Amino acid sequence: MSQVIFFSIVATGLASGCIYALIGVTYNVMYSASRVMSFTAGQYGMVGGVVGALLIQNLSLPVWAGLLLTLVAGILLGIVTEIVGVRPVLKNLEQHLYVLSTLALALMIKQVAAVEWSTEPKPFPRVSGIDTGIWEEKYWLPVVALVVVIAGLELLNRYTLMGRAFLAISEDTFAARALGLPERNLRVTSFALAGAIGSLAGFAGGQMLLAYFDNGTMLTFYGFIPVALGGLGNNRGALVGGLALGIFQQAATFLVGGVFASVAVFLAFTFLLLARPEGLFGNSRKTRLV
Amino acid sequence: MSGMAKLSAPPGFLQRAQFTFSAWPYVLLLIAAISLPFTGANDYWILLATRMAIYTILIMGLNLVVGFAGQLALGYVGLLTIGAYTSSVLVEKLGVGVFPALVIAAVAGGAFGALLSIPALRLRTFYFAMTTMGFATIVSQIVLAWQSITGGGNGIVGPVFPAPFDAANGFYLFCLVLAAICTWTTLNLSNSRHGRSLLAVRDVEVAAAANGVNKNVLFLKTFFFSGFLSGLAGALFATLQSYITPDAFTLDLSVLFFIAILIGGRGSIIGPLLATVLLTLLPEISAPLVTWAPFLYAILLLVIVLLIPGGIAALLDVERRKPLKTGRLIIPQPVYLPSVLDNPAGAESIAMKQVELRFGQIRALDGLDIDIKPGQVHGLIGPNGSGKTTTLNVICGFGTPQQGSLWIGDRQIPFGSPSTRVSLGIARTFQTPKVVGEATVLANVMLGGTTLGTATFMESLFGMPRHRKDEKSLREHALMALRVVGLEELAAVQAERLQHSELRFMEIARALVSRPRFLLLDEPAAGLSPAEIERLGDLVKEIGRHGTGVLIVEHHSDLVFRMSDQVTVLNLGRMLAAGSPAEIKVHPEVVSAYLGV
Amino acid sequence: MLTSESEVLLDVKALQAGYGKINVLQGIDLQVRRGEIVALLGPNGAGKTTLLRAVSGLLPWNSGSVTFAGADLRSLGPRGTTRLGLSHVIEGHRVFTSLSVTDNLSLAGYDLKHTQREERVEEAFSLFPEIAEKRHLSASTLSGGQQQMLAVAQGLVRRPKLLMLDEPSAGLSPVLVDRVLAVVTRIKASGTAVILVEQLVEKAIGVSDRVVALARGQIVLDETSTAANLSAGLQDAYLGHADRQVEATA
Repeated sequence: MSQVIFFSIVATGLASGCIYALIGVTYNVMYSASRVMSFTAGQYGMVGGVVGALLIQNLSLPVWAGLLLTLVAGILLGIVTEIVGVRPVLKNLEQHLYVLSTLALALMIKQVAAVEWSTEPKPFPRVSGIDTGIWEEKYWLPVVALVVVIAGLELLNRYTLMGRAFLAISEDTFAARALGLPERNLRVTSFALAGAIGSLAGFAGGQMLLAYFDNGTMLTFYGFIPVALGGLGNNRGALVGGLALGIFQQAATFLVGGVFASVAVFLAFTFLLLARPEGLFGNSRKTRLV
Repeated sequence: MSGMAKLSAPPGFLQRAQFTFSAWPYVLLLIAAISLPFTGANDYWILLATRMAIYTILIMGLNLVVGFAGQLALGYVGLLTIGAYTSSVLVEKLGVGVFPALVIAAVAGGAFGALLSIPALRLRTFYFAMTTMGFATIVSQIVLAWQSITGGGNGIVGPVFPAPFDAANGFYLFCLVLAAICTWTTLNLSNSRHGRSLLAVRDVEVAAAANGVNKNVLFLKTFFFSGFLSGLAGALFATLQSYITPDAFTLDLSVLFFIAILIGGRGSIIGPLLATVLLTLLPEISAPLVTWAPFLYAILLLVIVLLIPGGIAALLDVERRKPLKTGRLIIPQPVYLPSVLDNPAGAESIAMKQVELRFGQIRALDGLDIDIKPGQVHGLIGPNGSGKTTTLNVICGFGTPQQGSLWIGDRQIPFGSPSTRVSLGIARTFQTPKVVGEATVLANVMLGGTTLGTATFMESLFGMPRHRKDEKSLREHALMALRVVGLEELAAVQAERLQHSELRFMEIARALVSRPRFLLLDEPAAGLSPAEIERLGDLVKEIGRHGTGVLIVEHHSDLVFRMSDQVTVLNLGRMLAAGSPAEIKVHPEVVSAYLGV
Repeated sequence: MLTSESEVLLDVKALQAGYGKINVLQGIDLQVRRGEIVALLGPNGAGKTTLLRAVSGLLPWNSGSVTFAGADLRSLGPRGTTRLGLSHVIEGHRVFTSLSVTDNLSLAGYDLKHTQREERVEEAFSLFPEIAEKRHLSASTLSGGQQQMLAVAQGLVRRPKLLMLDEPSAGLSPVLVDRVLAVVTRIKASGTAVILVEQLVEKAIGVSDRVVALARGQIVLDETSTAANLSAGLQDAYLGHADRQVEATA
């Protein structure tokens, strides 16, 4: 195969893999704080692309403002998710209720985008203004976003007490509560953070995925695969899983064509999951709700 | 036979329990539906009603998977697609007759539905939901790509039925009849041991296993049937659309089906039925609603989840809101025991030999021997962490020891496999009562008779005589068991409304229904008042006298001393002392063990 | 104005609490004074852990009253009660193994100002030099006994007025149990009251001023630790109305 095609596969695979990994991290951040698997993760990503395009392209805001406001949109959605979709049902140990409440919210977000934005995919503007030749912005923006998020989370966990409180809550919610940690505030903050990460993923991936209301559903699924493979709550697993998925997908597309690539991804994912329900890197640590 | 009380004419509560199923909503709906073509309504409404009937067929099947089995199957549109394309391709490309194609499409749906039962059994809630979503997407993509067969993006012609089913009215009535039949079958199933087993697996899986429910087989059958209905619906859908393309089968549609069940109320048949009607009609009310329909469905879902988790069914259930008598007393009537435990007493004992069970470093059981003899009440006590509940669990098939063996008489029984225990004559209660809250007390107790029934899944679906006989005798048997424990007045009440102590006695009734040779009680006195504890003691002693071997694990040592014939004291996973209550009470090592000296 | 040693710190009246429909506590009356060490004993299922959880706010309750240092604890969660000076060390030495020893202690002082938090962490370390040695290591490297000491240290970071310990001896060797109980005695000297739930009855009585026994959700014994009928009363609590001919031999 020619060098150009090889490069294209790797570059596209890496970029899309980074987006998937970021959505996986979004899932993990919400899960760590609440033991809840939220359906909204993919929609935050969609919102990042749509709102970004709306602000920068349609409303001609400068890029930095567009990015900032997009993150704010993600943060607000995250907070709403916690207040409306998670907090009311946490007391109830029945598994299905929180899945449904977050599903309902995800559907609402998606529908608002469909009606108010468009049901057609729209292009996403270039944002960095740097000319990088063959390695276009749409290939490296997601990578940068992933690096920033992973580094940021590491710093948070290592150097702030709040980050360590997150880890504590993630490990043992009951003990954290007994110790007097402000469990609810920390949870809301986690969801806000998740919203920001998700929308950043969508913003950085805008040129690759376009500003399209239906991206949410695709990201919900493809962003979940890294989590399933890498283990719930395991960000390193999500990173590896996401990149692997991105590359596998692109390679399959090249080798067998678009449809069969999707089938291949789905079948591979299902078989892996059936064989190892906790994920390839996950541990079978007993979790409270899921 | 002395002690055998004559069953007098069924009092009011029995009638209520038998007839909590009220037919009027179904009848009204059916009448309204049948009369539609005769009102002169134009084709638009007939087509809409046809669509409603077709959705009903799918949703009735999906209801069993989502509402009863509690599985989050979000991707059922995939089965609809399979049904639609199977029938269309068979008729259009292969010249198969319309009716055979209909059946084949349904079977295809069933096959793929059954396939979905595998991830349902292996994966957690959210993971399974995702898998079904992926499934739906894949089906849609394959259809799109397989152009030579399916026509790809251009689509394919749907099957055309012969007269009189080719006219709008004719086809509508055909679909309506099928929808009515499908509703009727799921209704039958919900009032069968299979339906009760599904609810038990959904809410209290451990109790389901302890009462003999085989989850794998049950899921396989349920998922097949549900897929069958979806495939059938798909084939009819293809005819309705007259021309199908892949983008008629959206994930939105799938979510709509799913939401209908949640809005209707899980575990109900009438609820999802009404919800289907409601959700199909909703966009018709005004134009803006069409655009915002998915948003509206989502808000309805959210409202239901947060405010009325029981859905429409909960709103309709007027019985549920009638206040119960306060100051209720539980007065067991052991005189009815012979009618319940009417099997001849066995002579075999349960024997646990040299059992060791370690969890990592912790030795829960450290070389334990214990016997449970028939006709004897055997108390098992010991300080914290002594292994009492672990012992009970191992006998009941929960937990796999590394060493040792388990015997009934001279037959060795394997560790694990809790669902085989009840057929071996071993029944149990739980530390915290495990009941299906939304089902009636009677239905909960009938769960104990899961292995007594002989009607197959198919026979139950079609209400065959064997099914009806099963149900009738089980109902009477369960009612008798409720009499024994003193709860027959509450038979028709939803279990979640009962007080804690009543739930404890209800669990005992459930265990008695299986006519156990051995009854294992896990801390049955926790949360009971002193008077209730007395009555529990008398009841247990009576059960022992009827030949059943009873093992009772308890913290309330004085209760154990009062009701037991034999007492074993455990400490640190081993037997510390065994003997009569009088001997144990004064045993110096026992006192030391408890006081941590 | 100096407060007297016998001032009532915790006042529990007619407390009823439970899980879901199960009412475990059937009306508890209990008082703990400043600097008092109370051993809370009783068989399993009696409600000892439930009582501690209700007092600290981990378990919601709605019947009766709980007053601490003059404040009403109704509808306060653990965060609120911790701020008032009530520390609850739950059973099972549940420290955070994904964090360092120091982090575990720092989190216990989450609401404190930075310098104050560092001071208090050092104070806690001074009571348990064994774990101070491992301050930068992950808590997962500690043995079970050391983790228990860390858990107790966490309880002390806020310099609580009342420390509630739920079975601190569980899974510990006798030597380590003595270490933990020695710390209990030491903090009493600085005015901290302690409620000690324990299975090791003799050792618990050894460090306590008062013994309270719970059985079936009610208090069946409330005596000073030197009372004459203590042994018989405890047997009653644990074994029901056992024959009193037996002397509990050491």
